[in-house]
Amino acid sequence: MKKKLLNLFLVVAMLLVAVPVVAAAPPPQDGGQDYVVVADDWLSKLADKFLGDVLAYPAITYYTNQMNAEDSSYAKITNSDLIEVGWKIYIPSAEEAEAYFAGQTASVGGTGDTVKIGAVAPLSAPGSVTGGTTMKAAFEIALEEINEAGGVLGKTAELVLVDTEGLPERGTAAMERLISQEGVAGVVGEYHSAVAMTEMEVANANNLPVVFAETWSDAITESQYPQVFRIAPMSSLTADTYVNFMESLGVKKIVIMTENTSYGIDQAEQVTELAAAKGIEAVTFSADIGTQDFSGIVERIKAENPELIFVSVTGETSYNFEQQAAEGGIGPQDLPMICNQVAGDSEAFWANVPDGNLCIYTRVGLPKALYTPETVAFIDKYTAKTGKAEAESYAMEAYDSLKLMAQAINEAGSTDGDAIISALENISYDGALGTITFTYGNHNPIPEGVAAKWWHQFPDPAITLVQYQEAGQDSADVPVVYPPAYETAPVIVAGQ
Amino acid sequence: MESPFYFVLALLWIIGWGSVGTIVTPRIYSRKDLDVSQASLAGAAMGAAGGPLTLIPLWYFTPKLNWRWVVIPGAAIAVIFIVAFAAADPDNLCVTNGGFVATQLVNGLVIGTIYGLMALGLTLIFSILSVVSFAHGEFYMLGGMAVYYLTVVWFPGLHPLVGVLGAAVLTFMIGFIFERFFLRAMNTGQVERPGEYAILVTFGLAFFLQYLTLALVGANPKKAPRFFEYPTISLPSAADPWLMDMTSSSITLFGTISISTPRFTAAAMALILLGLLMWFLYRTWIGKALRAVSQDRQAAAVAGINPDTMNTLAFALGATLAGLAGASLVQVFSWVPWVGVPASARSFVIIVLGGMGSLPGAFIGGLILGIVEALGAGCVPDPQRAASYIPAYGMIILTLVLLLKPTGLFGREL
Repeated sequence: MKKKLLNLFLVVAMLLVAVPVVAAAPPPQDGGQDYVVVADDWLSKLADKFLGDVLAYPAITYYTNQMNAEDSSYAKITNSDLIEVGWKIYIPSAEEAEAYFAGQTASVGGTGDTVKIGAVAPLSAPGSVTGGTTMKAAFEIALEEINEAGGVLGKTAELVLVDTEGLPERGTAAMERLISQEGVAGVVGEYHSAVAMTEMEVANANNLPVVFAETWSDAITESQYPQVFRIAPMSSLTADTYVNFMESLGVKKIVIMTENTSYGIDQAEQVTELAAAKGIEAVTFSADIGTQDFSGIVERIKAENPELIFVSVTGETSYNFEQQAAEGGIGPQDLPMICNQVAGDSEAFWANVPDGNLCIYTRVGLPKALYTPETVAFIDKYTAKTGKAEAESYAMEAYDSLKLMAQAINEAGSTDGDAIISALENISYDGALGTITFTYGNHNPIPEGVAAKWWHQFPDPAITLVQYQEAGQDSADVPVVYPPAYETAPVIVAGQ
Repeated sequence: MESPFYFVLALLWIIGWGSVGTIVTPRIYSRKDLDVSQASLAGAAMGAAGGPLTLIPLWYFTPKLNWRWVVIPGAAIAVIFIVAFAAADPDNLCVTNGGFVATQLVNGLVIGTIYGLMALGLTLIFSILSVVSFAHGEFYMLGGMAVYYLTVVWFPGLHPLVGVLGAAVLTFMIGFIFERFFLRAMNTGQVERPGEYAILVTFGLAFFLQYLTLALVGANPKKAPRFFEYPTISLPSAADPWLMDMTSSSITLFGTISISTPRFTAAAMALILLGLLMWFLYRTWIGKALRAVSQDRQAAAVAGINPDTMNTLAFALGATLAGLAGASLVQVFSWVPWVGVPASARSFVIIVLGGMGSLPGAFIGGLILGIVEALGAGCVPDPQRAASYIPAYGMIILTLVLLLKPTGLFGREL
């Protein structure tokens, strides 16, 4: 009985849908024609039927929306994957479609009155959700400022943020979606190097400019892709800072606790190599992201008798390691420990690592004494928006990457990939991280003797080491302990 | 590893003769028309332990096989393995440092107790509902979150044990409601394929709980403060605490074995809860009714037990056990909404190891997995790999059990 009723209902529904189709036999109209969507239609099917090309569906979307602007009896298609039965749409003639696609190359970056910029960040596990949500807040601030200052190319800037989940394959999919469906003019952001490595391949294949915000792997700029720019420091730069710091403490043996990712492994290898050159022995332990129980490893590290521990596991995994090391007697209060930079989120840090005093961690970006007005303005907005005590370095990087891209598009005067790339190469942008420029690129090829990794790399992301010197200290108050040029307090060496 | 040759040789010997034993022995037993139920496993054990030296006499005399024929050669295999390992890597800490091994073992036992508690919940659900709950890890996550929010955010200063009680109540309620409204349909004939339905609906619950929590509490890692502040005690004296040295963060026994205090608290709580559970299941009428349903639903129904009620109760109780495991660990580990995913994978390994539906099996399986993980992380020579392989140790056990004794250690014979 139930089934019969359902069938009856379906028949009635189909009749209702079919009636208007019969009534609205489409009269030819300026070469194109009106069409009412029936069940089992989709845009590319219609494009194939009327225009002979499944890929011509964006022309239908475009013209229908144009008609909608004048005559509201036409539907407004906001998502080409979603049309509904009964909608009146406009199917352009072959000439109109051709004209649309000819104009299309010039209007990449959004149609109508917006310019689209893509952003990629990890917003769900296994990616660093903490990092991703932080970057999202920073993007929102940047977008607001861009539009307050008049937008991009006189149009409203629109941000399309895609979650990459920290997975390389999701990075590829995100980039393809941003390019083919959203038609963005450029892409900014990303937190995980491994994901950036796949994203830049898509960017390279489609000549789409990308400014990476918080991806440290050297390999990204080493690729020398014309489209790829980076404002984050490189692993090898930070490794330099770490090893020089270790040397200044006079340690001879260190343990590196790293994660099995391109970021972690790269960093461990670079530190090991540089340390060996200075006569410091390094032993590397590694674990997967998301490892909870480090008790076995802590015992092994203890047996190695290190004089310093360097932590390059990220996110909550680093909190787990640091606290368990403290409980095992090799914490930051027992011997010098360079903690992961997520320690910069002081509220989360003290909740998760209550025994974490004397943790030393990296901060990227200008030290407080050298803050520019832009830095101060951003930090004010960011702390007001998020309720945090301070802006993390990756928040500043995310903010700068988006504003940098907007400025480049404005300077290029168009959304053409080559024009933006050329504008980026010559840019001088004042932001939260200071004045960002890219020394080497097509305009200034890398000279002999300079490593390939300096291609399209922001040369001076100030890297400092800071140290919590009181339990529960706010990250806004932590003193800089290295390098000496920026030092605001001497380092407290644990265990001495 | 200095000379892996010996170790590889020993491994090949164990695997090679074990395979021969497991394939040939059942055939010989069946040719002689004897009981073959234990032949495959005992053959594998005898082969791996002594190779042809033990296999040929076994095949010749074909004694009646019982558990001794597995346990004794099992011990011999362990000895061969250890000796080969020691010969191959004489400088390994696990060979040279007894205190190190003892610490790893104790840490493994401590964490294994909690694994066991969590797996007990899963096996309880399976034994009564014949459903593998894929949302088990999410109950574990919820338990921890509940303690954190109760004792840190909503009622700061609330005693952690009250928080644990709150976590138990919350997970019990969610389990109860879910079973009543989503799983009950399996037994009333409303769904055509109950097995598949149960998998899908519990998967759905897992995603729902995980992402709902993410949406509600965000991704920032959380951690409850230690439940108990331990006093500083040094025995026999502060100057020479060779017997026990207790500080607020760790306990050191005999100067070598160290356990962190929150971990110790968690294990002690797990043991007490386990005792309570055993009392409940073996000494109360409802507990006996639950076990009766797990043995034979229809017979239990004839005896006046309502199996549907027991289903609901078992699911809620299983969820509570996972919640309590999480509640006791939220002071040890940082807590995020996806923290339950590896924990639930581990529970699956444990209940397969212990035997699906077996209560003692789940607990002992938990201890075994805890020890294997701790020894693996402690003894695998390459420091780059030791901790990375932690999830793999469980999977190796799973594969071996499925190969050699698919019913698990304490599983009911099919």
